[in-house]
Amino acid sequence: MSVQTVPDFPDFGDVFTGRPTRSLRRAMFADHFVTGLMWAAALFLAGVLFAVVLAILIAGVPVLSLQFLLTPGTFEEPGIGPQIWCSLYTLFLTLLFVVPVGTGASIYLGEYARPNRFTNLIRFSTESLASVPSIVYGVFGAIVFLTTMKMGYSILAGSLTLALLNLPLMVRVAEDAIRGVPNSYREGSLALAASKWETIRKVVLPTAMPGLLTAIVLTAGRILGETAPLILTMGTNISPNAYYSLDPLATGETLSVHIWVIKIVGVPGMPRAQEAANGSAAVMLLIVLVINILVALLNSRLQRRLSGGSIPRAGGSKKVGS
Amino acid sequence: MAVKPYGASKQGVTLGNLQHDAAASSAEIEARHFNFFYGHFKALSDISIAICRNRVTALIGPSGCGKTTFLRAINRMHDQTAGARSEGELLLNGSDVNVLSDLTALRKRVGMIFQRPNPFPMSIFDNVAYGLRVEAQRTPRGEIHDRVEKALRDAFLWDEVKNKLHNSGLALSGGQQQRLCIARAIAVQPEVVLMDEPCAALDPIATLAIEDLIREIVKKYTIVIVTHNMQQAARVSHYTAFFTTDASRTGQMVEYGQTQAIFTNPRDRRTEDYISGRFG
Repeated sequence: MSVQTVPDFPDFGDVFTGRPTRSLRRAMFADHFVTGLMWAAALFLAGVLFAVVLAILIAGVPVLSLQFLLTPGTFEEPGIGPQIWCSLYTLFLTLLFVVPVGTGASIYLGEYARPNRFTNLIRFSTESLASVPSIVYGVFGAIVFLTTMKMGYSILAGSLTLALLNLPLMVRVAEDAIRGVPNSYREGSLALAASKWETIRKVVLPTAMPGLLTAIVLTAGRILGETAPLILTMGTNISPNAYYSLDPLATGETLSVHIWVIKIVGVPGMPRAQEAANGSAAVMLLIVLVINILVALLNSRLQRRLSGGSIPRAGGSKKVGS
Repeated sequence: MAVKPYGASKQGVTLGNLQHDAAASSAEIEARHFNFFYGHFKALSDISIAICRNRVTALIGPSGCGKTTFLRAINRMHDQTAGARSEGELLLNGSDVNVLSDLTALRKRVGMIFQRPNPFPMSIFDNVAYGLRVEAQRTPRGEIHDRVEKALRDAFLWDEVKNKLHNSGLALSGGQQQRLCIARAIAVQPEVVLMDEPCAALDPIATLAIEDLIREIVKKYTIVIVTHNMQQAARVSHYTAFFTTDASRTGQMVEYGQTQAIFTNPRDRRTEDYISGRFG
């Protein structure tokens, strides 16, 4: 009978007729229904991602050309070379502050901090800071870095502001990664006469590395996309004599701020502002995509190395013949 | 029980009397009125035991009786646990482990094997070399390869891994992983190897391989093994200490002696009940 078509249910139906019982039919329906819902939700998510990427690329890719990517824009001819440079430089400077401080704090919280009021206070502050709107950080950065420390609108002030903004996220994700390292590794290492710091350096951090990389990628994505606090601290244009400059005290304009400027503020009479904005968005998307792919590759390499398979050893200082 | 403990017969010793084991010249580890606390909870009460050099001593008893607590007190793994403290003396070669300020110096002398094999996520070679490379050991670079090979040979693992030393230790089977952990522990040539139910996560074949290994390495090391498996205690150990709990769940040692004596002629009723399977 038809019952044989649903072998995944242990209830084989009515013992006399072989037909599915009422409760079995209900269970089958509920199962299929909920599975369908989940499937639809997942499909929707994939669809949204696909639509966003497609829309941005369709609008932006036709604008891309070597000239657009590598030269400063002129009034007639859009170009975002300096903005790309500024974005990457800002990313670099911000990570330079966020990664060491964030990793250090997460090591402290994950490995050293005993559960007490001080630790709780740090955790509570981290959680709270993570939910403060970024524009508030912008105002804070403007007060502290621009006014008090007299940096003026500059890439440095912007990067420091972004660093403060992203520290809580970095610390939280990195601490999770460190706590995810099995305690048996720590005990194994300590039992072999390693000190606590050796244990952290040689076992905990390498094992947590994929998670730490994830924390850095999340942070990098947010740094690239942040706009509001930069408008208040970094400025909204790049001086022609500071194009591709390494000077951290020059004013700067990242890609995201650039989009905001040409779309919202507007450059009166600039004929191809729309094109420039579309192109910039596509470039930002591609940068984020490339970073994600690179880190995913690095991560899978790390995972392979950590959990099995053949390990081609890079840098043969510890090589042995077997 | 009619299980004959390993090695007990040929030494011609008087049952239940440690003093007559001529080969076990002296006590390597000695606890005197040792108490242990987790916060306000007393986990071990008044443990006095002398553990012989180059012998396997098994700690048996029901769950929660404190045998693992005692084992971990020997290399002070409890130092990580907040609120854990001890009273009384626990001597390693005559000096109290609890007054040592340098934990790494203690753990150089006392290695440990855990219940679940815990190779580090690194290559087989690096796993064994780990203890040799720590600050406290400072093994000269040139010696590391030879000592890794020797440790793997001593752990009966060399032939299985010699062609894949740079593969991850996690790619090995459970039994191989545990032998890797033993190789890692003996690579640094400790005096004592503590084993906390080393076969709990292993199949019977892998368990027998570990037991063979224990019988072999005990010639060079003093071994203290916690086990839930009484056949295992009977098979590998020279001496057995039976722990149990009292009404307030505090662990205490009921009986200690030659394994053969404990298993064939227990003096205490509780020991007899436990080893004959009436409880625990």
